[in-house]
Amino acid sequence: MHVNNEIGVITDIGAIGEICRAKKVFFHVDAAQSVGKVDIDVTAMKIDLLSACAHKIYGPKGIGILYVSRKPRVRLEAQMHGGGHERGMRSGTLATHQIVGMGEAFRIAKAEMHAENIRIMALKQRLWDGLSDMEEVFINGSPDQRVPGNLNVSFNFVEGESLIMSLNDLAVSSGSACTSASLEPSYVLRALGLNDEMAHSSLRFSIGRFTTEENVDFAIGKIRAAVEKLRELSPLWDMYKDGVDLNSIEWAAH
Amino acid sequence: MAYSDKVLDHYENPRNVGKMDAEDDTVGTGMVGAPACGDVMRLQIKVGDDGVIQDAKFKTYGCGSAIASSSLLTEWVKGRTLDEAASIKNTEIAEELALPPVKIHCSVLAEDAIKAAVKDFREKHSA
Repeated sequence: MHVNNEIGVITDIGAIGEICRAKKVFFHVDAAQSVGKVDIDVTAMKIDLLSACAHKIYGPKGIGILYVSRKPRVRLEAQMHGGGHERGMRSGTLATHQIVGMGEAFRIAKAEMHAENIRIMALKQRLWDGLSDMEEVFINGSPDQRVPGNLNVSFNFVEGESLIMSLNDLAVSSGSACTSASLEPSYVLRALGLNDEMAHSSLRFSIGRFTTEENVDFAIGKIRAAVEKLRELSPLWDMYKDGVDLNSIEWAAH
Repeated sequence: MAYSDKVLDHYENPRNVGKMDAEDDTVGTGMVGAPACGDVMRLQIKVGDDGVIQDAKFKTYGCGSAIASSSLLTEWVKGRTLDEAASIKNTEIAEELALPPVKIHCSVLAEDAIKAAVKDFREKHSA
């Protein structure tokens, strides 16, 4: 995973590529979150295979790419069988309109990426500046080694799902889209060393091509009001304010 | 996730939010759940000399269904005796709020909370 889908942290793909090439291990990169957001050079990064999709960069849903290097040669077994199109790798008639849509999306992304990254980074900073003076609010993941559009924040003593309920004017997510129906805390945040309650208290904000300063300011107001409201409702916030160490309590896990 | 109108109403306008003095002899406190599980409910009842619950307060850390379950419970227990309050079943709460299966545990937690509050009050007075 070149860029993590929950916290937006950029993995040092070049370093991993070096190791893989030296050990003669094929290197397949999931670039779904990184194409159009960070520079990718498959030769310099020693990437053998790379997957990406169109809909993450404003292209159509239902189409993606698999890059396969010629040298070193990678032998693949086809998942789809039939007439042997695409050198036998993907049989079947291709969806021309989707291919054209994806191509155009990539063209625009390449042309605008560097300027967009600067603009989006400024918007993210504006969002964080609007939230970071609240008590017990933390960024999850590296603040620097990260794509510009992602901000993953834990609001301690507030539960993520109820926070989302209060933010019905905003499109935000707790955890990843793939696991949003589950009640388990994010395994990505757990792997960063967060305890379960901090992982339960997280939200992910994404800033993109169509986000404006007004959007960000509107979001800041809504988020602050929701966090304050839910903390008034939270027995954990009460205890924190009373100086009780929550770790000293024997909770009945259920 | 679709929430019922009743859940949304309790979530938007929670009833009886607050805190009572847990040391007060007329107060019973039940705190159930765990932060690690994403739900903590604190339910407190104030009991009159006649054994009838005069007032109830709650605070809940958890999802909308957990907040609604505890808010509803504070409305229900007022005016009931301790035995009546302790016999409230989670299924009644789940039915009233039309909780989906994945949120049934919120109503179970609410039932646990009132039972714990009644137990706490009785323990204070058993000595």
